[in-house]
Amino acid sequence: MAQLSSPQSPCCRPLCYEQSERRLHKSLQMKMEEMSLSGLDNSKLEAIAQEIYADLVEDSCLGFCFEVHRAVKCGYFFLDDTDPDSMKDFEIVDQPGLDIFGQVFNQWKSKECVCPNCSRSIAASRFAPHLEKCLGMGRNSSRIANRRIANSNSMNKSESDQEDNDDINDNDWSYGSEKKAKKRKSDKNPNSPRRSKSLKHKNGELSNSDPFKYNNSTGISYETLGPEELRSLLTTQCGVISEHTKKMCTRSLRCPQHTDEQRRAVRIYFLGSSAVLPEVESSLDNDSFDMTDSQALISRLQWDGSSDLSPSDSGSSKTSENQGWGLGTNSSESRKTKKKKSHLSLVGTASGLGSNKKKKPKPPAPPTPSIYDDIN
Amino acid sequence: MVVSKMNKDAQMRAAINQKLIETGERERLKELLRAKLIECGWKDQLKAHCKEVIKEKGLEHVTVDDLVAEITPKGRALVPDSVKKELLQRIRTFLAQHASL
Repeated sequence: MAQLSSPQSPCCRPLCYEQSERRLHKSLQMKMEEMSLSGLDNSKLEAIAQEIYADLVEDSCLGFCFEVHRAVKCGYFFLDDTDPDSMKDFEIVDQPGLDIFGQVFNQWKSKECVCPNCSRSIAASRFAPHLEKCLGMGRNSSRIANRRIANSNSMNKSESDQEDNDDINDNDWSYGSEKKAKKRKSDKNPNSPRRSKSLKHKNGELSNSDPFKYNNSTGISYETLGPEELRSLLTTQCGVISEHTKKMCTRSLRCPQHTDEQRRAVRIYFLGSSAVLPEVESSLDNDSFDMTDSQALISRLQWDGSSDLSPSDSGSSKTSENQGWGLGTNSSESRKTKKKKSHLSLVGTASGLGSNKKKKPKPPAPPTPSIYDDIN
Repeated sequence: MVVSKMNKDAQMRAAINQKLIETGERERLKELLRAKLIECGWKDQLKAHCKEVIKEKGLEHVTVDDLVAEITPKGRALVPDSVKKELLQRIRTFLAQHASL
C-alpha cells in the first residue's frame, strides 16, 4: 500500500522515498486516527487541497500529452485537419426547401432515368416497369418481346425506314402501359398471338359474323369499306396502309409501327384535309392517362373542335381528355374522379367500337381503290 | 525539530494520499476533472496549441518531454475557474470527512 501511494504523491518528492516509505510502514501499522489531522489548521488543509488539485490537473495534462504524442507518432493527429476552403464546400445548409447539401428536394418527381438497355430516358416512377419489359422479365414481357421481334422481322423488308419510329410511338414504353396492356389483352389486342394464328388464313375476308376479323394482325382491306366505315375506322384505329399487304393497320391510334405522319396522310387521303386526324390516338387510352401524354392530349383537344365523329367515340374521348387535363394539374381530387369516370368512358368506348365493328364491313363499296393503288 | 515536523507533515500527506486512493476518491476526482475539461473545451484549446507546437518543431522531432514542457503550464492556466472551484470543494469535503477521524 505504501508503494502504491508514495510514487503518486508529489508531496513526497522533497523527501527521500526510502525514508518516507519506512515512515509510512510504521504509520500504517498505527491507526490512522492517531496520526490524525487534528493538528492541522485550515491553512494547511487548504494547502493540501491545492496540492491535490494541482496533482490532478497535472495528471490530466500528462494524459493528454501522451495521447497527442501517440497520435502524432501514429500519424493520425492531423487527420481531422482540412483547409477552410474545402470545409466551406461541405458546410451544412440550413434553409427552407433545401436539404443539408443545399439541393432542392422533391425533385424526384421529374427525375428521369436512362434505360441501360434501350438508352431512352424514362420517368423514374416508371423505370422499374419499363425495365421489366425492356430486359424481358416478367409475365408480359415475353409476349411483348415476341411481338417486337415479329414486327421488326415483318417490317425489315418493306418498311425498314419506319423502324426508327417504332420506339417513339410504342405504347408499351409509355407511362400507362400496364393498364393498356391488360385492356388490349382482354378485348382488342391486335397482336395477340392466339388470334393472329387462328385468323391468319382469313386475311382480307371480311364478314359480319366474325368480330375478330378486325383485329387481325395484318389489317383489313380498305377497298371493301364504305365512307362511313372508313371514317369510323380511322377514328378508332391506326389505318395506315401497308405497302406490303395493302391492308390497313388495325392497331390502336398510337400503334408503334406507324408514325403520326403516316396516319395523318392516310386520313387526309380518305377524308380530305378538313377532317385530318380529328381524334388521333384517343379511344384506346382512356383509362391510362399519364403525364407524358398530356401534351398529346392538349393537341388533341384542339383537334376536337372540328370533329365530325360518331357520338360515342368523340364523347368518350372528350371525357377522357378532360380528365387528362385534370390530372395534368395533379390535383388529387381529379385523380379520384378520374378513377370513377374511367369506367364510364371505357364502356362508352367499348360500345362505340362494337358498333363500329358491326357497321364497317357491310357495304363493300370501295370509294377510291385506284388511287390507293397509286400510293402503294 | 524541523526534521521531525517535516516528517510529520510528510507522513500526514502520504496518509491523505493513500486515503484518497483507497477510497477511490482520487479516481472519481480524476474522472470528474476529465469530463469537465472536455466539456468546457479545455481539451480542444490545448489541442490547437499542440498543433502549433508540433508544426513549429516538425512532425518528426516531437518528444513527450517537449510536449509536457510546452503543454503543462498552458494546461494549468486554461482550467476554468468554475472547474477549479468545484474540484477544490470536493477535495475539501473529502479532507474534512477524513480529518475528523
